[in-house]
Amino acid sequence: MKETSPSLQGLQSWMQNALIDPQQASREQIEGMVASSSRLNSSQRLAIYQRNYHIRLLKCMREQFPALCHALGADLFNDFARQYLQTYPSISYTLSDLGKRFPAYLEETRPDRQETSDKRESWIDFMVDLAQFERQLFVMFDAPGHEGKPFANLHSPDSCLKLQPCFALGDYRFPVAWYYHEVKQNNDPPFPPLQRSPIALIRKNYLTHTFSLTGVQYIFLQALSRGLKIEEAIAVAAREAAQPREQVYRSWAQAGSTRERWLEACFFIVGD
Amino acid sequence: MERNGTGAIASLPKLGLGLGLRSLHFDQIIEQQPAIAWFEAISENFMDSGGRPRWAIRAIAEHYPVVLHGVSLSIGSTDPLNFPYLGKLKALAEEVKPAWVSDHLCWTGVQGINSHDLLPIPLTEETLSHVAARVHQVQDFLERPLILENPSTYLTFTQSTLTEPEFLRQLVEETGCGLLLDVNNVYVTCFNTDADPLAYLDSFPWSNVIQIHLAGHQHCGTHIIDTHDRAVEPAVWELYRLARSRSQGASTLLEWDGNIPSLAEYHAELLKAKQYMDENGKPMAIAEVSFNNKESVSTPVDFLVPEVMGNTIWEQK
Repeated sequence: MKETSPSLQGLQSWMQNALIDPQQASREQIEGMVASSSRLNSSQRLAIYQRNYHIRLLKCMREQFPALCHALGADLFNDFARQYLQTYPSISYTLSDLGKRFPAYLEETRPDRQETSDKRESWIDFMVDLAQFERQLFVMFDAPGHEGKPFANLHSPDSCLKLQPCFALGDYRFPVAWYYHEVKQNNDPPFPPLQRSPIALIRKNYLTHTFSLTGVQYIFLQALSRGLKIEEAIAVAAREAAQPREQVYRSWAQAGSTRERWLEACFFIVGD
Repeated sequence: MERNGTGAIASLPKLGLGLGLRSLHFDQIIEQQPAIAWFEAISENFMDSGGRPRWAIRAIAEHYPVVLHGVSLSIGSTDPLNFPYLGKLKALAEEVKPAWVSDHLCWTGVQGINSHDLLPIPLTEETLSHVAARVHQVQDFLERPLILENPSTYLTFTQSTLTEPEFLRQLVEETGCGLLLDVNNVYVTCFNTDADPLAYLDSFPWSNVIQIHLAGHQHCGTHIIDTHDRAVEPAVWELYRLARSRSQGASTLLEWDGNIPSLAEYHAELLKAKQYMDENGKPMAIAEVSFNNKESVSTPVDFLVPEVMGNTIWEQK
């Protein structure tokens, strides 16, 4: 080895920086590290890795956020994603984590972040919400679930009902689930208007189902996800929504109501 | 088990002709159980899964031999080995009981960052000592021999002093690890580094080769990209003829990670390997191939990202 050669650690650190931010590597450095071939000089050889690093990861980002990519257009999405990857390079062995910090990144780098919420650009709120929703779907895909085991049924007593493990709640400012599924149907939906959109996500037979919720239903499920029993969650929902407890109970329990639909949809398992 | 698992290499089975396990083929494999000898699963696609991928590999491993092939071990990195990752790999291996576990002679990142690329190592004595020590650690942890693949490379470092076959020969001697010889990578690397693929194979440590990879590539004129997105080139088939003979029938796997075809088409491409199983293994002339200057991405990884949209349903009120 030449006396001037960097250590293995130094070489790897240099090359990684040259991939993430190609401007950092000078021609002199590259020529010192990388040999030319008969067809390509040092910079051209390194450039193969530099191009592929960005192309590969941007493609993965587009696949993790297909609806957001549709909403922004591929060019603008790529710009955001490229800046994201430069700020937050992957720190995980799995590509499943690649987009983990993207929704937060969009929020923390929004140009109007110093403004009060009423003065902020609503389309940015929509992008952040959509990114959060897509990330949640991605997590649900591979999260531990209840497939292969029995779910609760209509005969299971309320006192034994417990939310199934692959369950999530979301409370969005825009109807992101509607937008996402429009894109899935190969439609070109317009940006939706501001409209509070609480949802529940559950996975059954490895398919993730999205359910729209009312505000009371959202409070009720939020209480259940904190570990409360059905009866306690009804009390919380009635109190927070300022509705009579009997009315909330009726909307939960009567024939054809929430209880029946959610049991059939596999929201619940039988707990201890 | 002895420390390095050297003896275990000789006892690994010869599985015949296998295919990469890709999610779009899960249902067909599970429901129809087609006559395919074995499957190679990308470890990272399954090790963290609590969903459908984990269910699928369990179901498939009940009926087929399975091998685990990783892309994130980063055996050449100067970062510490990632033992939580190795723990998950070991747990997956205990569950699906693969015939062996493999990864690449490369590094994927340092300082906690992952490039998700199979980056080249400088082929020096310093790197050899570093990699050998880590192979020992991995083999001790997994309690099985590690199988390492020669990667496709697009550059050489000025400080390299060893050829890749020489590096691998010394690594095998020091650690007893097994080798996965990717003949497409041999072709790609040799073109990109001005080396002769036949000389590469002449100096390869054949005794520890237990698997061969085949794949398609894209010739860009000045360089070749390992794209895994098309049929195997004739020149690579000729290298396979030689490799198959010298490895004494090592298990063969066709990789296809981009523009993935139907299972039938994928299998048909694999079965072409039977035409190259000559006993004397003498390659025909390795012809130059036509090229296309439009560059595709090397070693695509987007197939590692599950297609989530197709698994979602919106239940409207």
